[in-house]
Parts: sequence; C-alpha cells; structure tokens
Amino acid sequence: MEKQSLSYIENQPALSRREFITIGGIVVAFLALPVVWIRTIVASNNDYIRARTKGLYQDDARAAVRVSHANKSVARYYREFGGEPLGHLSHELLHTSYINRTKGLVS
Amino acid sequence: MHHELLILKHPLRVRMFHYLLIVSFLPLAATGVILYFKPLGESAMNLAMQIHAAAGALLALAAGAFFLLAFDRLLLFVKRIFTFSLDDVRWFAVLGGYPQKLLLGRKISVPPMGKYNSGQKLFGICVLIGGAVLIISGLALWAFPHLLPRAATAYLGLLHTFFGWLLTLFLPVHLFLGVYMVDDFKAMILHGRIPLAEAGEMSPRWVEKEIIPLSENQ
Repeated sequence: MEKQSLSYIENQPALSRREFITIGGIVVAFLALPVVWIRTIVASNNDYIRARTKGLYQDDARAAVRVSHANKSVARYYREFGGEPLGHLSHELLHTSYINRTKGLVS
Repeated sequence: MHHELLILKHPLRVRMFHYLLIVSFLPLAATGVILYFKPLGESAMNLAMQIHAAAGALLALAAGAFFLLAFDRLLLFVKRIFTFSLDDVRWFAVLGGYPQKLLLGRKISVPPMGKYNSGQKLFGICVLIGGAVLIISGLALWAFPHLLPRAATAYLGLLHTFFGWLLTLFLPVHLFLGVYMVDDFKAMILHGRIPLAEAGEMSPRWVEKEIIPLSENQ
C-alpha cells in the first residue's frame, strides 16, 4: 500500500501585530529588569568603594601629621629615650612577637 | 491508497533549540547535583564545575540565538503558556486523565486543550522563568562575583539553587511524559510532524483554530 502524506501547518501569524508588540515588550522588559538590577548593585558597590577612598584621601589631606617620622611625639621618643630608629632598645620595646591567644577560647 | 494526515507541530528552529537544550541541560543538571552535594574529590569537583560552566555557556548561547532568530516563536510560546481558562482548572482537577490512564488503565473525558495542555503550560512557565533566572544568575556568579556585593551574590546563589532544583526535578517527569506521548516525542526529536488524528485527540482546539493545509505529497 502506498503511503501518502498530506501536510498541515499552523496558520501564521497566530499573533496579531498588537499582541506581538505587547508580549514582546513585556518579555524584553522582564529580561531587562534583572540586568538593570545587577548593573545598579555593581555600580552602588563601586560607589561605596569610591566614597570610602575619597574619605581616606580627605582625612590625609586634613591631617597635620601624615607620616610617622614627622610626628613630634615619635621624634621626641627617639631623641630623649629610644636612641635611633630600628635601634636595639626600640626593637626590644616596640616589636611584638606572635602569641596564640585562641587556645583559651576553644573549649 | 493510504493517506496519512500530518501536522507540522515543531518547526526546525524549535527542534534545533530543543536539541541544544538536551545537550546543555542534561550535563548541567547532573553536574549541578554533584556541585550541590559535593560527593567527589577536589579535582573531580573542579572538573564538574568546568563542565557546568561550559554547558551553561552553551545553554546561554542557545537561548540568546533562539531569542534573536526565533523571536516570533518565543512570543507565540509565551502567549500560549500564559493563556488560561476554566478548562485549565478542570484539566488539573483530573490531572489530564494521566493517573487514571497510567494506574487504572481507564480513559476519562478531559477538557479540550490547545497546542499545550495545562500541565505543559505550567512546565513552560517554569522553564521560561526558571531558565532566564538560571542563565542570568549563573552568568553573574560565574563571570563577575567579585564585582557584586556579598548579599547580592548570596541572593543570586539561592535563586540559582532553587530554580536549578525546580527544573532538575521537573526533568524526569518531562522525559517520562515526553516518551509516553510517543508521536510527540518522535516529532520533537525527528521530523517535527504529528498525525492529525493524534493532534485532534490531544490538542483539539489547536487543530480546530490554528491549522491550515500546507500542500500535498510534501
């Protein structure tokens, strides 16, 4: 028996122009929303970093003494007591060594 | 002479997209489950992550290509899955007659459906929304997590996990029902056409309202 095919297809367009614009607009808007949200939070994250950086630079600009070797108290310490920077006495007094303080916390 | 009446249900663009979904989502689901439970060693977990990222990139590219090259089909799909009537409530009340057919071997009357039945519409909504969330969140988590605030990264990770599990759990149901409706399965995997009689039974409203003859002996 010969097998013969008769073909049918969807009657295009099943979407009217109005439906195409409306549904297309909604789909694009819903896809754009998360993209805009992610872009906004990335930008706001960078805003925070920029504000923090600006604050630190501002603090530096306003500070009378910006570096330790210009600090009068530090200079007086070396002049009257510590001798020279990186000297033996300063090393003994100012340098610290590591002590594990977490042992007492674990129980 | 035997006349076999056929309808083109799944056009080539849709079938191509479905092939790409198969080759991308199956490894994505498998590696996603592995990444969630972490049952393997470090190098195997790294490999799973690499496969997950590569398959995710393929899925994203396939979805992007379908969006651009078959925008009309996408909108038609959206219209169909978001069109509801009281028949959908009635369909869900009897679950499309599948439990009666599968468990009791009994055929009951089911409300007439369009191209997609109510269960397929629900699945379509989950795939559409879940797929978009998975692609966008996956891309953000993979490509630029260092640019995101920690709370946003955690939120996107939670969304990715939720929708990943949702679609992964839907997968066996989709595979079972896909193979069970063998004519539709052959249409999607092979030639795109289903017999008119089958379509008339499964999707009477689609056949009644949207089908026209194309040509003879093609």
